[in-house]
Amino acid sequence: MKMTQSPTFKAFSEPVVKNNPVFIQSLGICSALAVTVQLKTAIVMALALTFVTAFSSLTISAMRNVIPRNVRLIVELSVIASLVILADEVLRAFFYDISKQLSVFVGLIITNCIVMGRAETYALGNPPVQSFMDGLGNGAGYGLVLVIVAFIRELFGAGKLFGFSVVPQVFYDYGYMNMGFMQLAPAAFIIIGLLVWLQKSLMKT
Amino acid sequence: MSDQLKSIVFTAVIALVCSLLLTGAATGLKDRKLRNVAVDRQKNILKSVGLLDVAQKPTDQRIERLYQENIRCYAMDGTGRIVPGDGGTDGLPVCFYVKDSQPAAYILPVDSRGLWGKIHGYMAIESDGETVAGFSVYSHNETPGLGGEIEKPWFQQNFVGKQIVDTSGEFAAVGIAKGKVVEAIAPDRQANYVDGISGATLTGKFLTGGLKDILLEYEALSKQFRAGQVSLPAGS
Repeated sequence: MKMTQSPTFKAFSEPVVKNNPVFIQSLGICSALAVTVQLKTAIVMALALTFVTAFSSLTISAMRNVIPRNVRLIVELSVIASLVILADEVLRAFFYDISKQLSVFVGLIITNCIVMGRAETYALGNPPVQSFMDGLGNGAGYGLVLVIVAFIRELFGAGKLFGFSVVPQVFYDYGYMNMGFMQLAPAAFIIIGLLVWLQKSLMKT
Repeated sequence: MSDQLKSIVFTAVIALVCSLLLTGAATGLKDRKLRNVAVDRQKNILKSVGLLDVAQKPTDQRIERLYQENIRCYAMDGTGRIVPGDGGTDGLPVCFYVKDSQPAAYILPVDSRGLWGKIHGYMAIESDGETVAGFSVYSHNETPGLGGEIEKPWFQQNFVGKQIVDTSGEFAAVGIAKGKVVEAIAPDRQANYVDGISGATLTGKFLTGGLKDILLEYEALSKQFRAGQVSLPAGS
């Protein structure tokens, strides 16, 4: 069996493109609108979510045979909430500026449907390593969308990438202007909509 | 063991493990977090008096050193005197940029209403008690691209050199114009206004009100500076 066909690899690769949580399942849209004004915040947010999804899936999958069914949602939430607070604490301690910009959105990973969705639908029925990879894959799929959207928004909205100016001053001198609209949440909506369209039409062929 | 008891024991164990983990993380990282908050405050105080160029990405050590060398913080008590400590129940915090052991500017904490939440920052006034030395914002919830522009250098830079008194020397505060100052404000009042942000009329309105309230609170101190009678407490 080739490496790319193993269930562990598939668990990782499927959610990145084919079953992307944002494009296909329309999950995690809220934070995708909020944190994609700059690439830097988008990447940190994607990493934080990947960390939470991967380790919550791993933990829940490891306990899946001992969790009593009637309290499983509470147990899942406790695990997810703890990991989110942990991620937030680390950001506050080591990346204070970024954590200030992300403000409440790190805490709101708890309510991100992707995390809970993976725990409930995948981790409860699959072995730990595969669940971990599934968590990584979903985080990566979400992160990929965030990075694409943030790239477009920061480039056209502020003329910058990662905070460095990339649009030459000459352009501005000849009347080029940044699109203020790109800095607002509706712009992310439109970009995500166009990307879903693009992805759907590519997948059909 | 019945199913119910098993559920209760299981959730109790999970809760215990999670809380231990979080307590550990919170206590372990507490010092670093407090230091980050303190450095951020110092950074904004330094920014308000123009001692720090944030574009150069200064290190924490540099910020702390600059702050130690140049800034002294005291309180203003109910009568407008500068005292060490917190100044009692009517005390208001105030910091000074000290140059050659003389106050070159005084720095007021700004705590204003905004459109979506509080705006926090610092405003520095020069030792003549009339001229704004600078303005900085360290936390706000305004709309990015609109009201959020208050955190940008172009907006804050406009405050430098503005007057908090009118042409006859009476208190006038400094406000945000609706539109460009040269078009919206009468010539004799232009020194009391900065250019507004298009699309953020309300943020400007609230911040204007907030700045006025704060400058009024510290007017007793500003008067002393105008009269040239300010002496800092010895030591600390």
